[in-house]
Amino acid sequence: MTDHSKLKPGQQKNIRESREADALFNSMGDGAITTDEFGRITRINKPALKMLGFSRTELIGQPFLKNVVAETLDGKVMGVIDRPITQAFLTGKPVLGKMLYRTKRGDLLPVDINVSPLMFDNKPVGAIEVFRDISLELEIDRMKSEFISLASHQLRTPLSAIKTYTHMLSDGYMGELNELQKSSLETIINASNRMNELISTLLNITRIESGTISVNLKTVDIDELLKEILPELTIMADGKAIRLNVKVHANGSIKIKTDSLIVKEVITNLISNAIKYTPDNGQVSLDIKPRTNDLLIEVKDTGWGIPENARDKVFTKFFRGSNIVKKETSGTGLGLYLVKGLLDALGGKIWFKSDEKKGTIFYISLPR
Amino acid sequence: MAKILVVEDDRDLNKAYCIILRHEGHEVITAFDGKEALAKVDEFEPDLILLDLLMPIMGGLEFLQSWSTADRKNVKVLIFTNMENSPEISEAYKLGASRCIIKSWTAPHNLARVVTETLKSGNGSPKAKRVKTPA
Repeated sequence: MTDHSKLKPGQQKNIRESREADALFNSMGDGAITTDEFGRITRINKPALKMLGFSRTELIGQPFLKNVVAETLDGKVMGVIDRPITQAFLTGKPVLGKMLYRTKRGDLLPVDINVSPLMFDNKPVGAIEVFRDISLELEIDRMKSEFISLASHQLRTPLSAIKTYTHMLSDGYMGELNELQKSSLETIINASNRMNELISTLLNITRIESGTISVNLKTVDIDELLKEILPELTIMADGKAIRLNVKVHANGSIKIKTDSLIVKEVITNLISNAIKYTPDNGQVSLDIKPRTNDLLIEVKDTGWGIPENARDKVFTKFFRGSNIVKKETSGTGLGLYLVKGLLDALGGKIWFKSDEKKGTIFYISLPR
Repeated sequence: MAKILVVEDDRDLNKAYCIILRHEGHEVITAFDGKEALAKVDEFEPDLILLDLLMPIMGGLEFLQSWSTADRKNVKVLIFTNMENSPEISEAYKLGASRCIIKSWTAPHNLARVVTETLKSGNGSPKAKRVKTPA
């Protein structure tokens, strides 16, 4: 045992502080590792050792990046330069992230990490990384996605029957109807379309967020695709006396290799959004222009527009413009988030121009 | 007019599709799962199968896996499901489906039109072969 009684008061203070720092480091519930400027592990606490499965002697003084292998959440081994601890050391700024650590046993452990550079005289002399096991969170996320997917599918089956039979009645499969009966059926169709839209949005967002969205590229005739989606959108526009203009700028039919279900979902979402956020008697137009490397789709409205201070949030989840929340109460704020996610899956792009007095134009570029 | 086998476990929808397709002049028979469809397909010799994916006893994908490609001749398979953008749809295409449509987005007149288009399209299944059936 070391006798500290002969030390000077300043030295005693330093030792006490060092012990306090050790106690603090080891009492943390999360894993914590510090490295020096060469990336060698200088300290590692018990939770970190327990999670990674190593003993203290196996890691102290060893290069962290070489001894603890990290992978991205989609399973790619991370290079030295991409590791958060390297980034924090090089930039002098904190780095946050989620990744997988390979334990001594060879298992992959999903972790949420927070790395901060250790600064001395404004120079990084090392870094501290705090991380925690997020296996349970990921499992709960997976279960939530599975539940939404199953629930959405189960909700859709009775909805399909409601919609099919209502359409059959309305289309005269069961005999002629009077105008009042027809308009009542149209109300049922519109309501079931709204519910279908909600279920579809939930289902697709779950697929995008869980990375299980499936893209099936096939040759798609754009005219045929429009024939499938325009009748219901026209009914929606008529309900607000909005003129829906559709123009395909091409001689002959346009055929592109894409996923027709995703493209239908994207165009339907943008046009129904444009109708929803345009006052009665306005105009919505869809213009489709084939270009050398892509297909440009423009959806233009004479609506309320997007406020300037909210334009960077348009594609975020639950975004609703402050100027429309009182005018149109039925939106979920998920439509554009979904459209962006679907286009990312398809390798497409979306951007927009908006003027609060004139309306908005959304542009979509689909790869050909 | 064509011979169509409707494979759908929901009785209400199965009945609706029959009404719509018979109204268009097609000859229609039904099955309520993949196993029943397998039992009927060879004898009925349909031009098109309207196939649901999620069904009890035997689902649509299992049906496509079990149905011998040599027996398919030029039969088109139109997948009619509510599992949009799902891996099951990709799998159905790999197993020879011609086209896929989403039930809850498809009005009766669209179903009739898509059936006509699919019947007119080229060889439905990439794996389909024309095989002479024994007399």
